[in-house]
Amino acid sequence: MRLRNRPGLWFGTPVLAVAATAPLFLFTNAYNRGLLVLIVIYAVAGLSLDYIMGEMGQFSFGHAAFWGFGAYVSAKLALDLGISPWIGFLAAPVAAGLVGLLVGYIALRRTRGLELAIVTLGFGVLAWTVALRWRPVTGGPAGLRQVPPPSLFGWEIRSELAYYYFALLLLLGVVFILTRLRESRFGRAVRSIHENEDLARSIGVAATRTYVFAFSFACALVGFSGALYAHHFRFVNPNLLGLQYMFIFLIVVLLGGTGTVWGPVLGAAIFVLVSEWLRALQEYRFLIFGFVLLMVVLFMPNGVFPALRRVARRATDGGRSGGDGAGRRAHPGSGGSQAG
Amino acid sequence: MALLETRGLTKLFGGLSAVDRLHLRVEQGDIMGLIGPNGSGKTTALNLITGFLKPTEGSVTYEGQDVTGLEPHELARNGLVRTFQITTLFENLTVRDNILHGSHLANPTTLTGALVRSGRYRRQRAEMQARARELLGLVGLEQRIDSVARDLSAGEHRYLEIAIALAANPRMVLLDEPATGLNPEEAAYLMDLIRTLSRQGVTILLVEHNMRLITNICTRITVLNFGAKIAEGTPEEIVDDEAVIAAYLGRRRGA
Repeated sequence: MRLRNRPGLWFGTPVLAVAATAPLFLFTNAYNRGLLVLIVIYAVAGLSLDYIMGEMGQFSFGHAAFWGFGAYVSAKLALDLGISPWIGFLAAPVAAGLVGLLVGYIALRRTRGLELAIVTLGFGVLAWTVALRWRPVTGGPAGLRQVPPPSLFGWEIRSELAYYYFALLLLLGVVFILTRLRESRFGRAVRSIHENEDLARSIGVAATRTYVFAFSFACALVGFSGALYAHHFRFVNPNLLGLQYMFIFLIVVLLGGTGTVWGPVLGAAIFVLVSEWLRALQEYRFLIFGFVLLMVVLFMPNGVFPALRRVARRATDGGRSGGDGAGRRAHPGSGGSQAG
Repeated sequence: MALLETRGLTKLFGGLSAVDRLHLRVEQGDIMGLIGPNGSGKTTALNLITGFLKPTEGSVTYEGQDVTGLEPHELARNGLVRTFQITTLFENLTVRDNILHGSHLANPTTLTGALVRSGRYRRQRAEMQARARELLGLVGLEQRIDSVARDLSAGEHRYLEIAIALAANPRMVLLDEPATGLNPEEAAYLMDLIRTLSRQGVTILLVEHNMRLITNICTRITVLNFGAKIAEGTPEEIVDDEAVIAAYLGRRRGA
């Protein structure tokens, strides 16, 4: 069956259909459409964190710092220098990518795994503290307000609907790039280091350099997501760099499933919608989330998306060949080979 | 001129010499055997040559260039590729993807090509797929192309490992105890495979502790004991060498 060879399609097509038409039903008022925008922003952030977790097999606890940094870069450019948010959408990933290059160069030369997680945690806390204290630049705890929205031919994209479609288009671009990147020489090098670093080195992969670039790429991507956030919610504050968002991105990735392109997208949708339904509980909703996450990790250790995919494969297989063994087969570039 | 030469190669681990002033010469076209009892420093020597360990003293020359202290990937780019004592594959990938991921150095595709899937990229990818099938055919794994690597048998693991090394288009391959864990039949097949590589012009350094196996296919043999070279010569010379017999029978050196 053709669908089985195009792992993104069977999920991607219906998701796209739902995403494109969502503002026509259920999400018909501005508030609910704002939730859709948030899903897209978290999805991009989740995808970038999953580039580190799923593709590199590493962990960064400082990922939100790059998100907040990207948000600040674009906001400051627009507020202080009157630079168009469109330029900001480019400048934020470039700036976050450059800082990511530096942090990655320092951290990845010496550390992997748990040590890398701790080094990046240290960096994240440092960045958050600086943002909190450096009042003249960051506005201190209050942050900066009145960040302008992007405008198109003199028409400001203030409507939630327009911003949603704009962000959705960019998310699709990100998904597309991530999918293609996997099959590229660089993507294969990253994957080979993840699988076996010694072997990768012995067949000519410059492991550390490749990982530094991969890390920087993930930081650029999350910086971009941060800029999307800044120009939509039109404010930035130091908390954007902090652990609260770090945990949100982590939940998005773990809920949806690591090592897949659609996992974080699904994770972002689940996170935003469920936390909205639990809004009345305020801080206690994290109690529920903790519980949900626990259940997901226990019963769907690879996340919701791979679990769904398994069900779908079993269904398509069952009609064809009785479903014998094919579920175990790894599909090149699908990330399906993650399942242990 | 030797293709690979070490001079006075020494590695100290806390005052204990794992490799002790090793002089090793491998000529173009050799199947050089590096043998010795367990713990005699064979794998350490190989790690020093391939850049996985930095030598305490001494030098490594490859193709007439001093390559001491270069990183493994830099050596691989010069055509010097190794395998590992404990079978080392991309276990979670298919056999095909093992070769495609292993073809890093032989991958001509560009990032833009991959992003837009240009005609040139697709042609290059098709060529790489064809090359992967060819390499798998050479090691006898073409039937297993869609299997996940971890599902392969011990013998198939080794063959795939060699195919991955070959995907880098090496001029010289260093094999670290490739016959370990293989049954006699698989080991014989492996030896045939090594002969095939040699005929195709790949120079080979074969680390092994099974003497019988190595005397069968090597053109020259170097014997290590306690990190130092105790003998060097053709297989015929080695099996009659007093010091070698002593080392292998466990008698004290010089006794």
